[in-house]
Amino acid sequence: MKHLRLRAWPAALVIATLMIEVAAVALSWGLEPAWDTVLYAIYAVTQAAVGALIVSRYPGHRIGWLFIADATFTALAADLAQGWGLRAAEQGWPGGPLGEWFSLSSWIAAGPLGVLLFLWFPDGHLTRRGWQAVAWASIVGAAVALPGWAMDPDLGDQFIGGRNPYAVEGAPIDLLLGVGMPLFLGSLVVAIVPLVQRFRQSRGVERLQLRWFVFASVCAAVVLPTVALLWSVVPAVRPLTALALTSIPVAAGIAILRYRLYDIDLVISRTLAYTALTVSLAGTYTVAVVVLGAALGRSSAWATAGATLAVAATFGPARRRLQDAVDRRFNRARFDAVQQMSLFLDDLRAGRAAPEDVERVLRDALGVEDLDVHLVLPGTALTVDLSGTPVADDPGNGRGQWPIRHAGTILGTVVGPTVLAERGSLLPKLLDAGALAVEVARLRVELRRQLDEVEASRARIVAAADHERRRIERDLHDGAQQRLVSIGLALRHAQHALGTAADPDVSRTLDDAVAEITVAIDELRQLAGGIRPAHLDAGLAPALRDLARRAPLPVEVDAASDRFPTDIETAAYFCACEGLTNAVKHAHATRIQLTARRNHDRLVVSVIDDGIGGAAARNGSGLSGLTDRVAAHGGTLTVDSHKGRGTTLVAEFPCVS
Amino acid sequence: MRVVISEDQALLREGLARLFRDSGHQVVATLSDADQLLATIERERPDLAVVDIRMPPTFTDEGARAASAIKEQHPHVGVLVLSQHIETTHAVTLVAHAGFGYLLKDRVLEVDEFLATAERVAAGGSALDPTVVANLVSPHDHGPLRRLSERERGVLELMAQGLTNTGIATRLVVSERTVEAHVRHILTKLDIPESEDSHRRVLAVLTYLNGDNDT
Repeated sequence: MKHLRLRAWPAALVIATLMIEVAAVALSWGLEPAWDTVLYAIYAVTQAAVGALIVSRYPGHRIGWLFIADATFTALAADLAQGWGLRAAEQGWPGGPLGEWFSLSSWIAAGPLGVLLFLWFPDGHLTRRGWQAVAWASIVGAAVALPGWAMDPDLGDQFIGGRNPYAVEGAPIDLLLGVGMPLFLGSLVVAIVPLVQRFRQSRGVERLQLRWFVFASVCAAVVLPTVALLWSVVPAVRPLTALALTSIPVAAGIAILRYRLYDIDLVISRTLAYTALTVSLAGTYTVAVVVLGAALGRSSAWATAGATLAVAATFGPARRRLQDAVDRRFNRARFDAVQQMSLFLDDLRAGRAAPEDVERVLRDALGVEDLDVHLVLPGTALTVDLSGTPVADDPGNGRGQWPIRHAGTILGTVVGPTVLAERGSLLPKLLDAGALAVEVARLRVELRRQLDEVEASRARIVAAADHERRRIERDLHDGAQQRLVSIGLALRHAQHALGTAADPDVSRTLDDAVAEITVAIDELRQLAGGIRPAHLDAGLAPALRDLARRAPLPVEVDAASDRFPTDIETAAYFCACEGLTNAVKHAHATRIQLTARRNHDRLVVSVIDDGIGGAAARNGSGLSGLTDRVAAHGGTLTVDSHKGRGTTLVAEFPCVS
Repeated sequence: MRVVISEDQALLREGLARLFRDSGHQVVATLSDADQLLATIERERPDLAVVDIRMPPTFTDEGARAASAIKEQHPHVGVLVLSQHIETTHAVTLVAHAGFGYLLKDRVLEVDEFLATAERVAAGGSALDPTVVANLVSPHDHGPLRRLSERERGVLELMAQGLTNTGIATRLVVSERTVEAHVRHILTKLDIPESEDSHRRVLAVLTYLNGDNDT
């Protein structure tokens, strides 16, 4: 908020009001209760100051000028005139009754200003031109009632002298009051209507402003009649009138100038709760003193101590109960919101809700759809949403962000429309309560990301191993094997060069050497094929058929000739190999069915045998290694093997065609 | 016989060239990769091209693709593909062309047999490595193959390898007449149409074997 500087005119009027009130206090001092003198002076000065602040911030704001005008008028016509009246009567100065007369009548003259305040609040304009009539009615009413009131001989009761010196015998007092007063008081009541309408139709900022004002007005409306009733019974409550009146300009000033700074809902709910608390505790104290006094003897110090103890003991729980009751009755939205969050937390603890639901709960509780919970992942500068997808850190246009804190660290932010700021402390309170859920959600996102990372690294390791197998297989085929063939050829050349004339022993030795080489080549071929079958280059189906042909028992192959990513084909091939090996070595199968088919976006490989069953993926067994290999590609391996009913091994791989 | 050799390993390439020269054939060109192969065939018009199935740059099937290209553009040039490992699918597909052979590399060590096969391919015959054939005729096959006797099965394998009746007779040390009788029996038992053209006969046998195994 920018720095406020009072403008010249308003400042001059505030100073004038202040000086008038100083004079009024000096005149009245000692001649009436001190609180009466001081509080009304404060009321007028406060009103002037609020008005000056408003017009300094919003030049020409009618509410501001209204306050300044009312303050100056009240200071002059009510307070200064009253002070003069009192002091003049004391000192025998002239014009005392005139001062009293002004002072007693001034409230009617100031009345229309109050009506305008209600009609204009908070923006200084009428909601509809028609309401002008109410303002005119109050002015006419005041104009008619004022002479009637001022000339009424009955007003004499309130003069020090006991007589109204300006009473006019025979004036149509009854007529003037009879017509003017209903019009004047009626307009005051009717002026409330547009204020109520405004309040009901208002949203956002205006509603907040109106809440402040309505709150203060309601306080005044409750306090003034109550004080009037208790005037002679409990004299101590008398100053409340001045305080309640002062609260109106203060509330109006806060509403117009600094509505974002204070949480009106909280102020209202605390006021109600503490008032009720005070009343009930006073009741408890009184009852306790009476009861204990009767039991322990009058004026016992024990009774007082016991009552104090009782009140102290009830304070905590009573405060909570009353606050709850007040919230439930007078602050439904806030109460419901807090309630919703605490129900959600109960569900979360009981496992009935997922921590990620916190976003939905916040949206429901605040009645805002456009709200997101963003998480800050520890150890990274990454902002993600609740599903772990990275999001932009910038909330975007027309949106604000609020931190979510837990145990001193920032877990993330809530991103939502800026109007949420106007909900005061509700959002921070909900975020405080919901931080636990956010923390759990964040841990889950973190865990998921780490798992993803582990899975990705496992896939990389398997891919690297596959790559290495391929390289070794190549090296064997194209390196060692070829070299052996070359050596064999060299021996054949030597044999050829020796010709038929050679020693038959030498020729035989060469033949044996070539035969040895052929065996070595064959062994190398078998070895390379076991490391990674070269058939896989031609696709999964040919490789599987070749596998089936080399199997020592009948294998039925049903394989589509689709191609899949190389690493998936390799993994699928090894699944089939392992399945076949198990069926042949352990299951004593007589028939095997080998299938590899695309099923939507998955490659499904199955090996079904008619063996003894009972195979399980034990740690370290071929099957558990296979499970890891399949999982590395994001696939699943299931082994269905019951004793005596054969074994079905199914591996499924995700593959996007 | 005029021969072009395409093989990336220098030692083996030279060994093969010498093998052919020693037996009185003419090696008109030796190449270390598949790039220039087609142009060289175009220029030299050899009787036979010996092609390594794996060659630079990817070492997967450059040779196989070059071989198919040669067969398409020069159907009369015999192509003999050499491989380090048994690969049924490629082999059977390639042998669908006449004048085509597929052998494992170590077959060259049986010099006489290798040269005979090379000559057969150059003359428009077929050749399929015995290991590949053995894979096709697996021992636990069910169905019609079971109806063949041991000897008939042996004859079938030699038929699949691309051998002529004369070749089979020599290999099995029996008379050509006996071989003819076996062949007739086999074709009848398996319901394969008889054919005078030796290549067509190989094709029919392979189609039968391959089809039987694939379904």
